[in-house]
Order: sequence, then structure tokens, then C-alpha cells
Amino acid sequence: MNAALKDAVGSYKQRDWPKHFFVIFFLIIELFPLYMMLQISFKDNDSFSQNPWVPQPPYSVTETHIDGTGDETHILRTATWTEVFSGVEAAPGVTTFVSGETDFDLSVYRIGNWAEGLKTILPAISNSLFVAVTGTFLSMCFAVFGAYFFARYKMPFGGVIWGAFMLLMLLPGVANIVPLFTLLKDMHLLNTLYAIIIVGVASAQVFNIFVLRNFIEDLPKDLFEAAEMDGATHLQQIRTVVIPLSMPIIGTLSILAFLAQWNEFLLPLIVLRDGDLFTIGVRLIYLDGEYVKQWGPIMAAYFIASIPLIVIFLFCMRLFVRGLSAGAVKG
Amino acid sequence: MAHLISRQKALREWKLYAFILPSLLMIGVFCYYPAVSAIYHSFFDWKGGDTKELIGFDNFRRALGDAVLWKSFLTVGMLIVFNFFKMIPSIFLAVLIHRIKSDRAQYGYRIFLVVPMIVPGLVTLFIWKFFFDPNLGALNNVLDFTHIKDLLVYIDGIFGWDVFFANAPIGWLSQPDLILPSLFIWGFPWIGTVGVLIYLAGLQGIGLEVYEAAELDGVGPFQKFFYIELPLILTQVRLSLILLIIGTLKDFGLPLLLLGDTGGPDGRGMVPGLWMYNRAFIAGEFGYACAIGMVLFVFILALTYINNKYVRVEK
Repeated sequence: MNAALKDAVGSYKQRDWPKHFFVIFFLIIELFPLYMMLQISFKDNDSFSQNPWVPQPPYSVTETHIDGTGDETHILRTATWTEVFSGVEAAPGVTTFVSGETDFDLSVYRIGNWAEGLKTILPAISNSLFVAVTGTFLSMCFAVFGAYFFARYKMPFGGVIWGAFMLLMLLPGVANIVPLFTLLKDMHLLNTLYAIIIVGVASAQVFNIFVLRNFIEDLPKDLFEAAEMDGATHLQQIRTVVIPLSMPIIGTLSILAFLAQWNEFLLPLIVLRDGDLFTIGVRLIYLDGEYVKQWGPIMAAYFIASIPLIVIFLFCMRLFVRGLSAGAVKG
Repeated sequence: MAHLISRQKALREWKLYAFILPSLLMIGVFCYYPAVSAIYHSFFDWKGGDTKELIGFDNFRRALGDAVLWKSFLTVGMLIVFNFFKMIPSIFLAVLIHRIKSDRAQYGYRIFLVVPMIVPGLVTLFIWKFFFDPNLGALNNVLDFTHIKDLLVYIDGIFGWDVFFANAPIGWLSQPDLILPSLFIWGFPWIGTVGVLIYLAGLQGIGLEVYEAAELDGVGPFQKFFYIELPLILTQVRLSLILLIIGTLKDFGLPLLLLGDTGGPDGRGMVPGLWMYNRAFIAGEFGYACAIGMVLFVFILALTYINNKYVRVEK
């Protein structure tokens, strides 16, 4: 890109730092919930209400109290940042306070929260992984097959079938949920993970086939013809020509499909009854419904629920960014 | 384009139909059948079991006179207006990122933009719900700390809203009158990752010579925005506006999880989708729920029609 031209976008005269300042300001507020999630996951409710905003200092305080009868008691608690730097002082109105000592103590970080969070969320993660991986794989397979059908030849009735798919893009699914529920009940799929997989795959078909068809049609026809000369069947053509060449778009679509399955919660909430089968979404909803909340373990569980997505993000950042832009056109 | 082939060849290739069959079956069973069944059952008094009674248009007549339903449409209308305002920061941010000169910085900011997306949507929702907590929540803490709360109490005293009290924490999700404001504040600063990425894609399509010409004419940064950037990404803006409207009309996950299946105190957060869910799964009136679904469906279909007719989107 021509550097001199590019300067005109932001204007020659303007400096860049105010833009950086505003963007960073926005991003900080945007990422604030994640920061809160992470730092609260290391606290218990007491230290959280005492110090909601910043992580704990790695110190604990031992307060020594002597009451009227001369009995000595020790209270162990977490330190605040001011206490670390300027020493422990008696709380106003407390007369029994004698002395307080701060000790370097890493146990103020409640690793136990994470163990507890892991215990609550791990079964749900394995369920969700099963649903999302199977669902993504199946919907990609069927979508490649379907797109191949539309893209390879203009078959009789192809236009009608295409119309049936495109019409679904206009139909909003909202009114469907009630009949869908009774349908799944009649098929004895209630309270199974298969129900979520199959409905997810079905509703993802339209968009995936739409995108893949356009992509496959743009592939050079010679490749297909050459493969046909060599006696390749349609399945072989798909395996040797279509899939290798459309890997980038399949990757992008897979990420979108995975995200959609991972974030789904309305259908699982209606379909699943059995605690063992809960996917991430339902488990989190039930976790939120508990009466007395220990925020530490809950936040740890939230974070653990994001780990699979974080892993995907780290490995395919480029696909992720592109996939999200593409998903916007989905409608 | 796909090859045009002769009928003979097509007959020889009949096996190809096997490729489309699974997808066709799936959308038939799980997309078309429920849709048709919803239309069919909206004419019945149906409790979800085997017995049902044909009652003609009674469900629709009832929907017309259903005060809750119309109020819920009003609420969802308000939410759509809110969402309109909530689009502005995303556009603003996209333009800012676009105008930064260093490509490396642009890419870095883009990655940070995507980071919130790797947290499951529900988690974001619950963290926000936690922010609204009256005692522990971040929102009340910030308002206390910055003394904005005192200001709010003062304004309340003038207008007599009776919602902010000096000696009690603000009950964002428990005061009926605060439900809609809470839903407005929800998700501050309203940066939609996907939205920003679409706008950025649109902005990057603007030819540099346009900027260069503007620069030569001595156009300032704000004029650049109003005369170049905004008009040229209007396609993207309209697209995401229409997606937002349809999404808001359909969505009932947020109010369901935030306020419960009755729409919160005094039903202030009730939206049409939630009312349908409530009638079906709480009251067991499946037939009536289907009718509500139909009413909603007509609204969305009309919007989609308007969208396809008047909003040209190049894909």
C-alpha cells in the first residue's frame, strides 16, 4: 500500500496518539468484565467485598486481640494494599486490638476456587465438546456434499431444491421452538444430546451450503474434468479436489459452527432435564440460579468454560477474525 | 455457474441426488415441519398433549386483545430504539481504528476486539448480571465512588421518579421503573465485535484517492467522517441495523435469563418471544403460543421483506 496515500486516511496534519488513546480507552472498558472475572476467581466472598477492584496483595494479616478478661485471640485474614505498605491499624471502634502483622502468604489466592469450578463445569464441558465437535463435523460433511450437488452440475429440480434452502433464510425460527419441542418428544429425542446436535446441524445447513456453493463454483472446472478423466467418482472428486481447495472457507465455517454450538443455550435448556447431560449453557444457567453465591468458584467456572474457545482462538486467530466478519453477513 | 447438462447425462448422474438428500431431509424435518406445524396448531386449543380442539381464529382474536402481548411489543420497540443508539460507538471505534496509520497497530486492536468473543455469550451475560447486583455489583460501586449516585438522587428529587434513594443501593433489576434503563446500560460501551469488523471491512473498501482528494481540498476529520466514511459504509450500517432489529425481535434469551420467565418485576422486561415461551412452557398453552409465534413471524417477515426490497447488500 502506498504510504503517502495511506497518510491521507487519517490526514497529514493529525497526530495518531489521540486515536490510540480513544481506542485503548474503549478496549479497556470492553475487556473490563474479563478482568473482573479473572481477579474475582481468586478471591472468596469476604475478600471480594472488602476489595472488589484489584487483585489481592500476596500477604495475610494476623491480628492479635486481647479482650477485657486478658484472653488473647488471633484473627487471620487477607491484607489490603494499604496495610501492606503502611502497616496494620486498628479498625475504628475496636478496642481489643493490640497488634497486627503482615506475612507473605500465597494462600490468599484461592486456588481451591478453580478446583471447585472445575468440578462443577467439567462434565458440562465434555458434553459441550461432544456436541460442538460432532455437530461441527457433521454439518461440514453434509454442507460439502450439498454444496457439491449444487455447484457441480445443474441437475433437474436443482433450482427448486435451492429455492427450498433459500426460503429458510427468510423464515425466522422463532415460532418453531414450540412445535420443535413436541417433535423431539415424539422422536424420543428429549433429554438427549443428539437432539441438540441434529437441530444445530439442520439449522446451520442453509448458510453453510450457501457460502460453500459460491466457493466451489469458483473452483476451476478443469480440475473436476481431469479428475473425471482419471475415473474419479463423485466422492473421490470431493475428497481430492473440493476439500483440499476449499479448506480455508471450511475452516472459517467450522469456527462459526463451533461457536454457535458452544453458545447455544435455549434449546438445551428446553430439551435437557438430566443434570449429567447439561451442556455449558444450561450448567451456567443453573449455577446462576443458586441462592447463596460463592462468586470465586463461579467466576473460575466461567473462565474454565471459555478455555476451549481460547485454545481455538490461539491456534487460528486469522480464521477467527475472518470467520466473525463473514458470520456478520449470515443474517 | 454450474454446468448446464443434458437430461441423459443428468439421468446417468442420479447418484448425485444422494449428496443433497441428508441436508434436504434435515431441513425438511427440523425446519419446515415445525414451521408448518406451528401454523397448523395456531388454530387449535392445544395443551401440548394428544388432545386438541379446533377453535378457528380464537387464538388470534385473543392475541389481538392481549394487553401483555401489546405491551411486550412496545417494550421490544424501545429495545430496538436503544439498539439504534448502541450502534454509534461501534461505528466510531471502527473509524478510529481505520484512521490509525500503523497497520501493525490496526491488526493488534482488531485482535483485542475479538477477545471478548472467545468468552461464551452466556458468561458475558452473567458477568453483566453480576455487575447489576445491588450490593456487590460493579455498577453501583462505580456510581458511589464517582458520586454520580448523589447526582441521580438529586435529579430524582426534582422529577419525583421515586427510584433512586440516598440511603439504599440502587435496585437496577428489581425496581420496575429501572428495568428499561438497565437494559439500556446493558453491555456498555456497546462495542459489538462483529459490527466493528463489518464496518472496518467497509471502510477498507474506500479508495485511498477519495481521501487524498479530500485532503487536498482541506477537509477536516469530522467532515471526512460525514462526507466520506459514513455515506460509504451506509450499506454495512443498514445491514447491521436490520440484523439488529430482527435479532432483537426474535431474542428472548437475555430477558429470560436476566429477569426470569415473567419478564421481571411488573413484567416490564416482557418481550413477545418471552411471552410465547411463557405461554408454552409455563402456562402450557401451546396453541396460543403458536399463535403468538405467528404474529411475531409476520412482523419479522415484513421486516425481512423491507430489508430485501430496499436495502441492497452486496455480498
